[in-house]
Amino acid sequence: MQLTEDPLATLLKAANADDRQAYARFLHAVTPIVRGIVRARSRSLPPDQHEDIVQDVLLGIHLKRHTWDAAHPLRPWLYAITRYKIIDAYRKRGVAVHLPIEDYSELLPAEDIASPLTARDDRAEVDHLLGQLDPRSAEVVRALALRDETQAEVSARLQISPANLRVTLHRAMKRMAALGRRDQP
Amino acid sequence: MMQTDDLIARLSTEAVQTALRPARLGMVMALSILVPVALFLAVLGTRHGLMLAWSNPVVPFKTVLPLITCALSILLVLRLIRPEARAGATLWVYAVPLLAALALWIGAFVLREPSARFAEVSAFSLDECLGSILLLSIVPVGVMLRLVREGAATSPTLSGALVGLSAASGVTAGYSLFCTRDNPLFFVTWYGAAILIVTLISAALGRRMLRW
Repeated sequence: MQLTEDPLATLLKAANADDRQAYARFLHAVTPIVRGIVRARSRSLPPDQHEDIVQDVLLGIHLKRHTWDAAHPLRPWLYAITRYKIIDAYRKRGVAVHLPIEDYSELLPAEDIASPLTARDDRAEVDHLLGQLDPRSAEVVRALALRDETQAEVSARLQISPANLRVTLHRAMKRMAALGRRDQP
Repeated sequence: MMQTDDLIARLSTEAVQTALRPARLGMVMALSILVPVALFLAVLGTRHGLMLAWSNPVVPFKTVLPLITCALSILLVLRLIRPEARAGATLWVYAVPLLAALALWIGAFVLREPSARFAEVSAFSLDECLGSILLLSIVPVGVMLRLVREGAATSPTLSGALVGLSAASGVTAGYSLFCTRDNPLFFVTWYGAAILIVTLISAALGRRMLRW
């Protein structure tokens, strides 16, 4: 089938015999091929991550360059590594997406605690809104927003970590704001 | 892309790695099974009258079936260390030892008196059999997983499972020379269970250790 040898194969053969220049040329020649595959296969990942994946693939090729059997064609080997590293990239990013929200609590917008409550100084109505939350969240809102307790006190009393407390408050406030809007005529 | 060019420049200055030599890996894998088994048999000895026992046509299967499975699995593991390799239909070769073992089991079940079927199964004989195979498998599984890491297996879980299968079936072949229970209902079941346990554990290990 192969009448002339794949130039990439020639380069990698030389590289594996410790020809550094040939190796650099091999990697430069492989990069656009890899980039093309990554672009075609990673449509669901943001384009700014594509080059990261390309570099992951190059690194994989580099670390495993001794696993190519020079008696076999190069392309299947190359594509197998590229495919494996793209799947690996998905796996890593999939895990990243599912990191617990607590890790991001520092990034949550500072809570304008008063907002859902100020418009309704009517105690009954506030109680009505709080009644629709789960008891724990309701207690967090009561303590922080209505009784002006400090975060440290509340977090100690309810045994919630400060980060978790911010998240709970944030979610409760959002939920109450939504409930409030729904209740308004 | 400047960054990628930088990466290439950096990578191309690194020293070459020695080429993968599957034959050498295969030798070390076989040794990692042989050495613990040889030590075990050197200390505890083979069963009395091994030659005589082998005149019963069922008994050689205790050793031969695991041995075939072991050889097949090492060959498959060595094939799968190349990234482009796929096991695919090759896995069907396991139908041969599996069907042979099944035939032995069913044959013994049919031919034996109900009371004699499970006579050799006791808590002690189970501990001895399962325990020995599990313990003897630890070293070869560890060694083989390390060796496979030198390659570039693109199916880590399957490679891990095959490592476990090689190690456990190799060890079982050796252990069978010590074991005196020749009822297929006993040895097919418990050798099989021990091999399965090691295979599953090794698959889980491979899933984590053989990624790159």
